Formats: sequence, C-alpha cells, structure tokens
Amino acid sequence: MKQRVGIEILFAAVLVTTPLVLSTACGRIDRSDQVVIWEQMDPVEQALLETHIEEFQAAHPEYAEFSITHVHYTPEDVRTQYQTAAMAYGGPNLVYGPSDQTGPFSIMGLIAPLDEIFTAEELSRFDPSGLPTLDGHVWGLPDQVGNHLTLVANLEWVDEIPDDTDTWLAQLQDLTVDTDGDGKIDRYGLVFNMAEPFWLVPWLGGFGGWVMDDAGEPTLDSAAMSAALEFLLALKQAGVVPRECDYPLADTLFKEGRAAYVINGPWSWQGYREAGREIRLAPLPRVSSTGLWPSPMRAAKCYSVNRYLDPDARACTLDLLRWLTGPEAQADLAREMGVLPADLAVRQRPELVADELLAASRSQIDKGRPMPIVPEMRAIWDVMRPSYQSVLNGELSPADAPRRMQEQAVSAIAEMRE
Amino acid sequence: MSDSRANRLALMFLAPAATVLLLVVAYPFLYNIGMSFTNWNMYHFRDPTFNGLQNYGRLFMEERFWTILGKTFLWTGVNLVFHFVLGLSAALLLNRRLPGRPIYRALLILPWAMPQYISALTWRGMFNLEFGAVNLLLGKLGLESIGWFSGEGAAFSAAIITNIWLGFPFIMVVALGGLQSIPRELYEAAHIDGASAWRQFRSITMPMLKPVMMPALVLGTIWTFNNLNVIWLVTNQGEPADKSHILVTFVYKAAFTYYRYGYAAAFSVMIFLILFSIVRVYHRVSREEAPA
Repeated sequence: MKQRVGIEILFAAVLVTTPLVLSTACGRIDRSDQVVIWEQMDPVEQALLETHIEEFQAAHPEYAEFSITHVHYTPEDVRTQYQTAAMAYGGPNLVYGPSDQTGPFSIMGLIAPLDEIFTAEELSRFDPSGLPTLDGHVWGLPDQVGNHLTLVANLEWVDEIPDDTDTWLAQLQDLTVDTDGDGKIDRYGLVFNMAEPFWLVPWLGGFGGWVMDDAGEPTLDSAAMSAALEFLLALKQAGVVPRECDYPLADTLFKEGRAAYVINGPWSWQGYREAGREIRLAPLPRVSSTGLWPSPMRAAKCYSVNRYLDPDARACTLDLLRWLTGPEAQADLAREMGVLPADLAVRQRPELVADELLAASRSQIDKGRPMPIVPEMRAIWDVMRPSYQSVLNGELSPADAPRRMQEQAVSAIAEMRE
Repeated sequence: MSDSRANRLALMFLAPAATVLLLVVAYPFLYNIGMSFTNWNMYHFRDPTFNGLQNYGRLFMEERFWTILGKTFLWTGVNLVFHFVLGLSAALLLNRRLPGRPIYRALLILPWAMPQYISALTWRGMFNLEFGAVNLLLGKLGLESIGWFSGEGAAFSAAIITNIWLGFPFIMVVALGGLQSIPRELYEAAHIDGASAWRQFRSITMPMLKPVMMPALVLGTIWTFNNLNVIWLVTNQGEPADKSHILVTFVYKAAFTYYRYGYAAAFSVMIFLILFSIVRVYHRVSREEAPA
C-alpha cells in the first residue's frame, strides 16, 4: 500500500512539474539582462561587429551586467527565423540585414517604428535614401549604403576598363581564351551569377527600364526588359561567359584567375584580394545603344528593433544601436569593406574621400537605384527568376519573357494581398 | 500485481512522454489545421479571420497542385525503388564474407553520415554543365554533356540521383541488421533440400526481412515525400523555371516567399492526409500478410 501511494505521489509530481518545465522552456525567455543581435553579415563585418560591441561595453560601464551577443544567419534564414520568432513575441533585440526585409517585418508588425524612438535630429545625419521608410515611418537605422553590384577586373588580364558595352564586348572576346588548344575555354572574359535576376536588374536600368513604378506595381513588360535579356543572351551566345554559371562557380573562377571580370558586390572584394587577385573596381559599362549607365540596385544594410523588446533591456539596446550605427563604426566599415557610409558627415572624411576603392564603389552606387522595400518586391524577384533562366536556356525568347514575367507578377502580388 | 494496477503503473510512466508529445506534436498540428481555415498572411498577421474552406477550394482548383502532386509521387516512387534495390543489394553483399568488409561498410554509410545540406550543394556543383564532375566523366566516356539544370526532366533527374545516393545507406543498414538476425540453420536446411540461391532468397531472406523492412519503407516514404533540402538546394529553389517542385518545396515557398500562411497550412494538411493514407495502406497490407 505504501509503495502504491509513493508511486501515485511521484506520478502527480511529474504531471504537475512537466507542464511547468515545458511552459518555462517554451515560453518567453527572460532577456532583461541580454541584448541579442541576429545578423546577416559577411565575415569581415562580423569581426568588426565584435570589436564595436567590445568598445561599446568598455565605453558604457552602466551596462556591465548585460550580456551582448550576436547570432549569424544567412539572408534567407534571418528573415524566416525572425518572422517565426517574432510571431511568438520572441526573437532578438536587434535584427540586421538588407533594408528590403524591413518591408514585410513592418507590415507584419514585428519591428518598431524608429521615428517614434529617435529624434528627427538623430535621424537627420543619415542619407535619407538609406533610411528604410514605409507608410511614413522609418524602420531601420543603416550603417552602410551599398550592397550593390559593380564590375571587378582582374588586373593580371585587364589593362584598361572600357566604359561602353560595344568596346567592352570586343574586349571580352579577346580575353576569352583556350590557352592549351583542347577546345575548352581556359579563361572567360566575364563571369557572374546567371541564375539570379539580381544580376539582370542593372542591365534593365541600362536599357531604360525598371522593375516597378512608384505605386509599387510591376513594370516588367517593357521593351527595356526584352533588350536587357537579349543583351545577356548575346553574351552567352558569344561564348564570353560560361554556358552555365551560378554564384559559387563565378566566384571560384575569378578567384582562380580563370576569368578577367566578375560582376559582384562589396561582400566579395576582400575574398578576391585574399585569393591573390589584384583587382580594380569600375562601374558597369554604359549601354552603347541607349547611352545609359546600368543601374544596379543599392540598398542600405540596417538594424531594426524588435517590437516586443524586453523593457528592461530597452535602454541598453537603443544605446548599442546608436553605437553600431555611429560615425566611428560606419567609418570602420567603409575602410574595411569599401561600402559607402550612411552617415552623411562620415562620407566627407578626407581619408574616405581619398580612398580609391571607395571612390570606385561610390561611382557605381551613384549610378544605381534604391532597392524597393515593399514586400511585393519578393514576388517580382520570384517571377523574374524562372523566365530569366528560361531565356538563358533558350526555352523562351527575350521578346516573350517580359509579358510572362508581368502576368505572373500581377497574379503573385494579387495572391499576396488577398 | 493485478492487471488494472499494472496498467495504471504503465500509464503513469507513459504520462510524461505523452504530455511532451501533446505539447510539441499535437498542439502545432492542431494549430496548423486551425490556420488552414483562415486568411492568415502578411497583411493579416495579427488579425487573421476565418475563411472557411476557401484555401482548400483554391488548392483543388489549381492545376499546379495536381501537377506538383504527380511529381511528388514520381519523386517518392523512383527514390524508394532505387533506395530499396541498392540498399538491399549492398546489404546482401556486405552480409557475405568479403575481404575488407568493414571498409566497404564504412564507405557505403558515408553518404548517410554526411550532412544532407553539404551533400546536396556538392552534388549541385558536380552537375554543372562545363565544370561539373558528372559531365567531365561523361566526356571521358565519349558522351555528350548534359545541361542538368536547363531542362525540367534533367533537373528533376539530378535531384533524384542525389537523393538516391543520400538515401540508400539507410535501407542498407536496416537490411543488414535484418539479415544478420536470420538463423543460418535455415539456409543450411534449404541447401540440403537442394534449394537454389534464388529460392533461398525468395523463401527465407525476403519473408524474414519483411518485418524489419516494412517500417523502414514507411519511414523512407515519409522522409522522401517530405524531403525539402534536396530539391530546394540541388535545383536552386525549383530550377529551371520553377518546374522541379514537389509539394513541400512549394509549401515552403508559399509560406516564406509569399507569406501566405493560411494557404500554406491548407497545403500542409493535404500533405499530411496523403501520407496518412499511405501509412494506413502499408499497415493494412502488413496486417493482412502477417501470420495469424
């Protein structure tokens, strides 16, 4: 009898404690003395972030009891993971990534409007085009503007970088060589990610088109889109680019010295130098037939504040945010990464104005256009990708692709807005 | 100890696990079902409303659902056949006395031991038109290079090849365990009776393996049917032109690219019902064939 009572007490204890333990584990974690940053950063940026956090902790002894950590995610993961966590009123204090992610986060009510936290004077030091703004509110504080594609030349093979596409194409043909005569190309004139429409967009701008109008409606069915696709298809048909090339392949071929040019962004330049390549940046050449410069999308990378921030961690989080987007942090990023500071005063610092790499990068940024932060942009990327791939595979003509893209974009956006 | 007391004791020990299962399996499952009857999306993230069977109605009306469903069955069927045939063949070979058997065994388990993510991306690189190992090998054999990601069939085949490589070691390990538990006396008796190798395989090996292989096949079906990683990574989100999707990759896209949570939840419920039906059929077949 005694044994039976003992078992029943044990059973009752387990029944009572299990839900308690589980509710503690599944419920909101006490983060009153923690600041967590979820970031999508390149290795160089991550190293700088760690340095800036240490500097912040040294400069702010009043936050000594706070633990400040960062967790790295890929761009796609930072978006999906934050969505999921914030849906359950959890997630980090700060989330960092390209400004376009602020669009859906703000509509879903997952991040706080920063114009209600920071004063107009505090916000005025940022380049207005770098502040992600939607529905009249600012949703992130940037530490850089850029994230743009530019032309990177391997100086081992390239002496002079042409500034128009006709001259450039002729040069690409000369630079594409089969050195050992085995019928296979040993060095390509140009490599770039031919699977993603992000690399198509600059040329769309170069032919006078764009992805959406000011009202956020897609404008893909245009003569400019058709001409841009035709141009990229012609590169492939001329054999100056590999027949199939995704990001890792383009990156590898350029690092190995098997390509004269690559089209890539600021995140890649350091890696090319480390691979022993002597590089020079230049704007993508002006399209000869239109006289227009290609316009890559430029975006700020910014920190957003979790709407469900623990009130006890609020002051530390906001001061950290001020520090990470402050002038010194931005100047460090500009020096190390060749990105354009979002802080207007920092841009004017003599050492940054004189920096050759930064000047070249800035020249491309000036020719770019801001990436729309409206969530419908995701639908546009998504419908451009298959048609773009079909054109390069020869399954769809450049003349027919724009109409298909437009129809699919309109339908996908309608489904998103249901 | 009386029966009722023994049952109660068993129930007590089961209770904690049952509670955990209720919270981590049943709750999300029911939550998902509830979500499937709402208009939950980016614009109704905090204020979704009940929209009845609208998501299900839309699903059945869409031609792409049926196309993707067909592809999912094809994907699952082809993979399972190859997993089973290759896995069982490898197990039969490893069950014999072979020089260097532990080395072969370790090598054959490698695909399973490697993270799926790494394997899928490595295979994607190997399928590159110009620089991939697969086409270079075809070239050495005097064959034409294949544009693995240029055509619908080729891209789907590339994903299937990757998944066959990844999946057969599981069946091999299970089958090997089953083979080692078959008493040798049965084969000796069959040998004395003059049974051929094929007859021994058909009358001893297969029936004795069946109890082990059936659960492995059920698991294999569920895993393959719901395999997001391989399709997503090898075909780079459904290349070419979104033609390589199976149901789970399409659901992922609906939820995380287009933020259509209600619609994606309805899709997930359909996937569950399909898998549930398959498992029921498996159970019925195994029960009918089990000795009375």
